[in-house]
Amino acid sequence: MLTCKQVSSALSKEAYQKMPPLRRFFLRLHVKLCVFCGKFNRQVMESQEMCRCYREHEESLSPHRPKLDTDRKDALKDLLASQQIHSKPNE
Amino acid sequence: MSEDDSPKVPVTPPEQWVDLYGDYLYGFAMSRLRNPDAAADCVQDTFLAGIKALDRFDGSRDIKFWLRGIMRNKIVDQIRKSIKENKVDIDKEDEALLESFWFKYSGIATTNPDPWQFNPRKYYDNGEFWVVFEKCIAKVKNPARQAFILRVLEDQTTEEVCKAMDITPNYLWVLLHRAREQLKVHLEANWTGNDAK
Repeated sequence: MLTCKQVSSALSKEAYQKMPPLRRFFLRLHVKLCVFCGKFNRQVMESQEMCRCYREHEESLSPHRPKLDTDRKDALKDLLASQQIHSKPNE
Repeated sequence: MSEDDSPKVPVTPPEQWVDLYGDYLYGFAMSRLRNPDAAADCVQDTFLAGIKALDRFDGSRDIKFWLRGIMRNKIVDQIRKSIKENKVDIDKEDEALLESFWFKYSGIATTNPDPWQFNPRKYYDNGEFWVVFEKCIAKVKNPARQAFILRVLEDQTTEEVCKAMDITPNYLWVLLHRAREQLKVHLEANWTGNDAK
């Protein structure tokens, strides 16, 4: 049986979902039964799960994110064009 | 099927990158850095690094995702740079938490954390929830936010984050705890308005 400290330490080093199945089993068992660290570490696990789901949904968030303004885009285009001339001197 | 037989994605010429991927990469950088100038620098550095490394692009995935892969390193560099400019100091409340009985003996902050005011899992399939979630991450205060981005969203190891922030693993644990706490508070304040209760 894992101790509270071992459970907390494991969750701080590695996401629950990335742990081997047996470790996950013992960890979940501890968190379900423990009156000391159970509630706290359950919230840590829920937070990890939430962040994992957020990363899975990130692609769909693109339209809601801020856009690069036109001036910056134009400056970047000029820079990339000049870089390409430098990187291909014989063409 | 060998790796060479896998379908190749055509290489988009760099002169089209700004129009095709500029907004996408800038938005991604903003979600991590929150600073328009730093995010724009990141996009620029990503494109320049992309041009240099283009001969190593293997065509196994869309170039947009390849560029985003490069950008992840640039984001970590930007956060490191910002931390160097504003050194992370441990405050008294965090020091007290590190010295507390529960942290020392059980590795937890409290035995009785406040329960969630709503069940976030119910909304994992709701795109609007993740838009609010991202806005709430932006509201988390530094250095907790920086620790959270590096460790949780950018998958840096504990050792890498501690080195970048010049902090101990125990203090990183406190910062991540603070980030989770603040994220929960912001989510409850911002999402409960959207029929969560």
